[in-house]
Amino acid sequence: MATFIDFHALQTLAPSNVNRGEDGAPKTAYFGGVQRQRVSSQALKAAQRRDFAGHLDRSDLGVRTKRIAELVARKMLQVDSKIDFDDALAQAEVALSKAGLKLTAPKAKKGEDQKPVSAGYLVFLGNHQVERLAERLVSTDDVKSLTKKAVQEVLDTEHAIDVALFGRMVADDAALNVDAAAQVAHALGVHAAQPDFDFFTAVDDLQRADEETGAGMLGTVEMMSSTLYRYATINVDQLMENLGSREAVVRAVQAFATTFVESLPTGKQNTFASHTLPEVVSVMVRDRRPVSFVNAFETPIEADPGANRRQLATRALADEAKSVEVTYGFVPKRSWVSAVPTLRDDASGLGSLLSTSELVGELRSAVEEVVAEFDEAGE
Amino acid sequence: MSTLILRSKGPMQSWAVNSRYTTREAGREPSKSGVIGLVAAALGRNRGDAVDDLVDLRMGVRTDQPGRLLVDYHTAKVPGNKHSTLSWRHYLSDAAFTIALGGEDSVIQGIASAVQDPRFPLYLGRRSCPAPIDLFGGVSVESDVEVVLRDLEITPWLASEWHRKQIGKIAYLPLSRDARPGENGELVRDVPQSFDPRNRIYDSRSVARLEPIVVENADGVEESDPFFDLVKEG
Repeated sequence: MATFIDFHALQTLAPSNVNRGEDGAPKTAYFGGVQRQRVSSQALKAAQRRDFAGHLDRSDLGVRTKRIAELVARKMLQVDSKIDFDDALAQAEVALSKAGLKLTAPKAKKGEDQKPVSAGYLVFLGNHQVERLAERLVSTDDVKSLTKKAVQEVLDTEHAIDVALFGRMVADDAALNVDAAAQVAHALGVHAAQPDFDFFTAVDDLQRADEETGAGMLGTVEMMSSTLYRYATINVDQLMENLGSREAVVRAVQAFATTFVESLPTGKQNTFASHTLPEVVSVMVRDRRPVSFVNAFETPIEADPGANRRQLATRALADEAKSVEVTYGFVPKRSWVSAVPTLRDDASGLGSLLSTSELVGELRSAVEEVVAEFDEAGE
Repeated sequence: MSTLILRSKGPMQSWAVNSRYTTREAGREPSKSGVIGLVAAALGRNRGDAVDDLVDLRMGVRTDQPGRLLVDYHTAKVPGNKHSTLSWRHYLSDAAFTIALGGEDSVIQGIASAVQDPRFPLYLGRRSCPAPIDLFGGVSVESDVEVVLRDLEITPWLASEWHRKQIGKIAYLPLSRDARPGENGELVRDVPQSFDPRNRIYDSRSVARLEPIVVENADGVEESDPFFDLVKEG
C-alpha cells in the first residue's frame, strides 16, 4: 500500500499569457468537446522548481551524515556483493577526498576498534547521488584515475529534492535518470474560453520628437482569462526511495505544497501582471491511489444568475470529491482545504477548512507520521 | 482464463510507438507497451524489472471516442546551454478507449487488485495524464478479448454525452486486437522486452483491425441530406 498526497487547486487568472505555444498564443486544449485554456505540466513544474530556492536550504537535503565513506561503501556492496567492504571503503575515501571532502579517522578509545573515516561535519547527499558515486566506483578500475571534476560531477551540483520530486532524464547517460515522485497534470480551464487579442502600438520617441506621425511598431499580443483546475500528486514511497531520509521527505513535501500554492509560470507577466493565487486549495492524503477531480469539469462550468463561475466550480469540485467516495469507496485518510472567504461554504466538502499555512503545517505532521514507518537509507 | 477491462479516458492521453527524437507522437489508440507499462507500474515493478509474464497477455482495444490531436510545444532549459531544447509532444484530447487484457485467472486477478491499489501513480501514456478514477472496468470470465469488447453489456460505450450528441444515430467503434496465427495484421513494434532506460527494447506483434462495432446512439443527430431526399422524391 503506497501513500499518495493529492493537491487540487482552482486558480483564476486575469487576462494574461503565462504559458504560450509556438505561435505565441496561450496554450489550449479541448476537453468535453470545448476549447479551454491550458497551462502545461512542464511550465507549472518549472515555476515550482524556480521557487524551491526560496524555500529550501541547499544543505537541507538527502541523507545527513558524517559517515559518508561508509554510506557509499555500503551502497557499493549493494551494487556488487562480491566487493570487499574494506576495499570499498578505501575507494570511497579516495573519491570523496578528491571531491574536496576532508575525511579523518575519529580517535579510537583505548581498547576499541579503529572506526572508519568520517567527514568532520554533516554532509548532505541525496540517495541518488550516493548511488551514482557507488556505481561509478564499482565500474572504475583505478579510483585514483578519477579527476576531482569527475567525482564532483557524479556527486552532482543539483538540488537533491528537486530531482527527487521532478525526476531527471539524461540522454547521454541513462544511469543518471531518476524517477520522479511527483506527477503534475496539465492545468485546464473549467469552462470554455477563447483567446483574446490586444492590438498594440509602440511609439518611436525620436519619430515623435520630429513630429512625424505613425507608430514605430504595430502588433498583437494574445491573452486569455480562465479559472484553471490544477492537480498534482506525490508518491511518498517513491520520494523516500529517491531521497533516503525521512526529514528530507518531509521538507520536500512541505516545499512542494508551498510552491504549488505560490508559484505560477511567468510568461508575459511584465505585460499582464496576473499575479493571482489559487482561490481554493485542497490537499488529500490517500493510501490507495491518487485521484484527480478533473472530471468534475468535463461539462464546462457556465455562470448563471444565481452563482458566479468560481462558486459553481468550487461546488463541482466538492461534489466530485463526494461522488468519488460514494461510488468508488476511495476515502482519503486526511483532507484539508483552504479557500477565500466567499468560497468557504462551497469548499467545506473538500476537507477541514484551514489557512494555507495551517494546511501546510498539518500536512507536514501527517507526512512525519507516514515516514516514521519507513527505513532510512543505510538502516 | 479471464479478461481485465480498463477504461482509458481523460482530458489528455498519449500512446505512441513510432516517436523519434524531438517529435513525440500520439498514436490513435493505446499501445501494448503503454498498457503493459501501466500494469507493471500498478504492480510496483521498477523500470529495470522483467515484464515477460505480462507480455503474454492478449490485448484488444476499442475506440469509444476518437478524440482530437493536440500538439504541445515543449521547451526545456538545460543549465549551461545557450538555447532551450525544443520538442513537440502530441496528445489525444477527449479520447476514450476500452482496453481488454486476457490471461490466466491468477495473473488477471493480481493485476486487477494492483490497478485499484497501485504502487506507483498510473497515467495514460504520459505522466502528465493521470489515470481516471474509473480506470478499472472489472474482470470478465469471458476469455476472448474480442467477445468482451463486442459485448456492450460487459464493456459499455464510454463516449460522453456531448460526443454522442454530435455524431449520427449509428456509431462505428474501431476495434483491434492481437492477430491470431494465420490472420492478416499490421506489424507494430510495441511489445516491451525491457523498459530499462539503459536498454529499451521492443519486439513486434501483428495487430488485426477488425470489423467495427456498430452501436445504436439514441442521442445522435438525425442525419438528413436534403439533396438526397429531393433525388429520392424525384
